[in-house]
Amino acid sequence: MIRANNITHIYNQDKALNNINLEIRKGEFVAITGESGSGKSTLLSILSTLLKPTSGELLFEGQNYKEIQNIDMFRQHNIGFIFQFHYLINYLNIKENIKIANENASDEEIDKLLSLLHIEKLGSRFSNEISGGQRQRVAIARALVNNPKVIFADEPTGNLDSNNSQNVFDIFKQLQKSGTTIVVATHDKKLAHQADTIYEVNDGQL
Amino acid sequence: MVYPLKALNANRLKTALICFSLIFSITSIFLISAISNGVILMYSSILKSDGDLIITQAKISDTFFSNVNTNLLPLIDEIQGVSKTSAVIVGATPVENLPIVAVYGVSSNRFANYTLVEGAYPNPKEVLVGKSIYELLQNKNEIQIANQTFSVSGVFESGIGFENGGVVLNLEDASLIFNKSASMIMVNTKVDHNMETIKTNIAKLSADIEVKSTKSFVENYNQFKIIKTSSNAVSFIAFCMGLLGIVSIMSITINQRKSEFGIKRAIGIPMRKIIFQIINESFILGVFSFISALALSCVILYFIKNSSSLQGYVNGEISVSLAFYIFLTSMTMAILGSIIPALNASKTDPVILIQGNKI
Repeated sequence: MIRANNITHIYNQDKALNNINLEIRKGEFVAITGESGSGKSTLLSILSTLLKPTSGELLFEGQNYKEIQNIDMFRQHNIGFIFQFHYLINYLNIKENIKIANENASDEEIDKLLSLLHIEKLGSRFSNEISGGQRQRVAIARALVNNPKVIFADEPTGNLDSNNSQNVFDIFKQLQKSGTTIVVATHDKKLAHQADTIYEVNDGQL
Repeated sequence: MVYPLKALNANRLKTALICFSLIFSITSIFLISAISNGVILMYSSILKSDGDLIITQAKISDTFFSNVNTNLLPLIDEIQGVSKTSAVIVGATPVENLPIVAVYGVSSNRFANYTLVEGAYPNPKEVLVGKSIYELLQNKNEIQIANQTFSVSGVFESGIGFENGGVVLNLEDASLIFNKSASMIMVNTKVDHNMETIKTNIAKLSADIEVKSTKSFVENYNQFKIIKTSSNAVSFIAFCMGLLGIVSIMSITINQRKSEFGIKRAIGIPMRKIIFQIINESFILGVFSFISALALSCVILYFIKNSSSLQGYVNGEISVSLAFYIFLTSMTMAILGSIIPALNASKTDPVILIQGNKI
């Protein structure tokens, strides 16, 4: 589904990634692990089109990313992204935070997502009124609202306790069962072992 | 429209700063343009109400220095197509504590142009006083002009600040004070006669005079050109300063919101929608600031108009066309100021925006 050929990324004259080659199959649960600063977040950003690599080729279902005319629209239709710091918009309530990613989503669809993630009572609250675990669930709901083919998550459990971390991974596994491809960057090797495939990044190399 | 309002509400301090910046720059454009327009409008109103043709001394740049011989009046009256002639001396003098008061010496057939509030039109050695000046006079019975004392015959009211803040007396009295025959002669023409022919016939009467239509006189009057040019220059500078202020404030605001744009792009919101929201926010700010600036300008102009120290001479006029022009420029300021950094953000990778690197 996603293929990276010879991806190199230079940041401030340092090689953040050096000649990365990997393939992610449809419906696969992939974990990218590595120490802090190893380049795993950079790799995830490049795979999810949030960052242009300095060189190399990236293919999504056989199509080169460089040939995509409207990358924002492409992302809207194919990719869901979950951040470590959830990045909810503080002036919107929870439902609005989800709806902003897909204005065509009906209230029923959003309620269904909230219910799936067990946060159905938080719809009208604001991000500063809920816990860290709940915020991460909202971020997952926001990533799911477009029914993406792939979900990328960058350290989604970085700010959660072990219980909440496992809950998030359970949700990922549930999504994988419905056919969604999951790519998670995490430094937690215990959680990473729940994935089908693990790539370890060391000093910008796999 | 809900999201832009929520975003503005979430950034209340910045919203208030942008609004203040916009309001002050728009108000400055309003005041500069309105006051200079007001000066031009007041003087041209005096001239336009006085006739179709204006005769001044030839090769004189300002009517204050013009001297036209009133012996020409009966000769002009005889020209075919002329319905009325009148003469005016325009001068200025200190009165009591007031440093400068406009003095209009007029031929008696022009007294009817001044609407009496009380008293009567002036006889020789009498003056008719404008309402603004009358209220400021300590001695309301007589005033001193140059070395002569004049009795106050009455009070008139005029919508034109220059007149309302002046005094009117007989042409002969003014002639003695200012040592001239007349500053200009006004000629009214009959509707069915060719203005150009009348102009040519009047011009033939003396080589020392210049005959112009009132419209042409107003358009080519050097003082108006200077006021208009300086007003346009100052307005342009105010506009540029306002624009730079808005651009820098909006740039700072958008820089501070760059992670929000990055997140929005990361979750798949197209940049055109983000830019559209920014334009909406700017439009709301622009409209609010424009209305506030218009109200503030009207209040300031009211106080300027009614300030006793200014004697009603400074009378700003906000016309519909001026308001429309300023509305367009203020919208341009607000939208241009915000769209440039937003467009820069659209060219930056979402991750870089989220990480907070400079746009």
